[in-house]
Amino acid sequence: MTVATTNTPLLERQYARLGALLIAPTIVVFSLVIVYPLLAAIYLSLFSIYTPTLEGDFVGFANYWDLLSGREFWNSLRVTLVWTVGTLSLQIVLGVGMALLLHQNIWFRSLARSLVLFPYFLSTVVAVLVWRWLFNDLYGAMNHGLMQLGILDMPLDWLGSMPNAMIGVILVGAWKYFPFVVIAVLARLQTIPDHLYEAARIDGAGPIARFWDVTLPQLRSVLVVIILLRAIWDFKEFDLIYLLTGGGPVTSTQTLSLLVYQEAFALNQMGQAAAYSVGMMLVMLVFMLVYLRKTGGR
Amino acid sequence: MSLPSSMLRKIVLNFVTWSLVAVIAFPLFWMIVTSLKPQSELFRIPPTWLPETITFEHYWRLLTETPFLRYFRNSVVLATTTTVFVVLLGTLGAYSLVRFKFRGRETLAMLVLFTYLLPSVVLIIPLYLMMVEIGLSNTLLSLILAHTTFALPYALWLLRSFMEGIPEDLESAALVDGATRMGAFRDVILPQLLPGIISTALFTFILSWNEYLYALVLVNSDSVAPLTTGVMSMLISAFNIEWSLLMAASVMMSLPLIVVFAFLQSYLTRGFGAGGVKG
Repeated sequence: MTVATTNTPLLERQYARLGALLIAPTIVVFSLVIVYPLLAAIYLSLFSIYTPTLEGDFVGFANYWDLLSGREFWNSLRVTLVWTVGTLSLQIVLGVGMALLLHQNIWFRSLARSLVLFPYFLSTVVAVLVWRWLFNDLYGAMNHGLMQLGILDMPLDWLGSMPNAMIGVILVGAWKYFPFVVIAVLARLQTIPDHLYEAARIDGAGPIARFWDVTLPQLRSVLVVIILLRAIWDFKEFDLIYLLTGGGPVTSTQTLSLLVYQEAFALNQMGQAAAYSVGMMLVMLVFMLVYLRKTGGR
Repeated sequence: MSLPSSMLRKIVLNFVTWSLVAVIAFPLFWMIVTSLKPQSELFRIPPTWLPETITFEHYWRLLTETPFLRYFRNSVVLATTTTVFVVLLGTLGAYSLVRFKFRGRETLAMLVLFTYLLPSVVLIIPLYLMMVEIGLSNTLLSLILAHTTFALPYALWLLRSFMEGIPEDLESAALVDGATRMGAFRDVILPQLLPGIISTALFTFILSWNEYLYALVLVNSDSVAPLTTGVMSMLISAFNIEWSLLMAASVMMSLPLIVVFAFLQSYLTRGFGAGGVKG
């Protein structure tokens, strides 16, 4: 950290002032829409607030006591972990595999890349609409396609029963977010020097050995960052799950984000919801600190 | 290596890759096919994989009989304003973070990264209360402010990476030649940063265009609803779900994205390199 003291040259002090001036609007907006709400969330979690009237009383740590002793938070935490681990593993496997294929010199490579990339930028609302139509139990292409291929005998209820609902959500999540892994891995693949592969080939390594001994060690550092980043984003995912299943059947796909939303705007317990959100943030803080340490804030 | 075996390898590789791409792209293909099918063909069992007759009636109905165009306009205003606001603040802020030395700079950069990872549901309850209190609930302005919570850290982070990639000597040379800091910023930095600014603007626009949760909580009047909640309400409020109409809406809603993909895709991949993964 640089400390501007009074005996630094005039120009440098002017620059420091200009630097502070340039960042000032950002700091003001940050404080208003992020820092203040963050502190307010912690403050609100100490109250019992009825959402429609927004009236409430101070209840101390009662909301946290309910969080620790009740079943909802722990159930949702378990669901969130199942969803995160499930969809993240699929994203990594699919993403790395697809990146390796797209790194090869295939026909119409840029078209293939665009098509693979597209779901990532698509609105979650659009993705969900299309997949709900695909999953439709009567007319859905998913059931009929799988039946025509002989994989299914009977149409499946994809989103209305367990464990299909969780599988469905994990699948759609993997479809939507794996392109992120593809792009990140592809960029890294292009920087692996060719002579490493040449050396391995001279040593008699086949394609599979070359993958394990050359490619994977080279991808290690970027994969760590991708996994941490995607873990954080998947952990807090709201739109996709809320729109696909609404957390159902009952609460089988109700992740922590959904729990917070439902507690605040369906059950009208804003204070309790704020406590849940603070609890969720504390869990996420673990991932965040690991990420910040790994990337060193760069 | 003989020619036939390498040729065979190439064909297998292409076959495997393109089959996978086809599976991944199928939902998009199905969205377009469904939007073009007449109602009578839609509910056939088993479904027709290619439409027998192509009709644009759903698009016509979407534009004339539903509030779709109003949602579309709201989304354009929302995403454009958010983008301009955030890119403006972000460019100045990133310049300051990268090229100026002042107390608390490192802490500030860490704070930006931290908020970039923060879950929206933590902020949504206080933001909702805030908007109700200052009388902004049910306005587009409340959504623009709410969107800065994720767009500003994101833009700042991206622009910071781009700014770090610009060599410092050019700016120093301009300063030696007697330019002021802001003069050098305008004449030297901005032109070089332009591709980065375009990338950031595209990402921010797409983020804001696709956002759902804040719109769900902060806006419940149909007249200011953006596309995300507006189109979803068409699904929920319908007695008989009209899938062709919804698929037509989905295609129309993805139009800006398709335009970006067709003409500006390199900016999207560049943005990935800068902010998404390098972290």
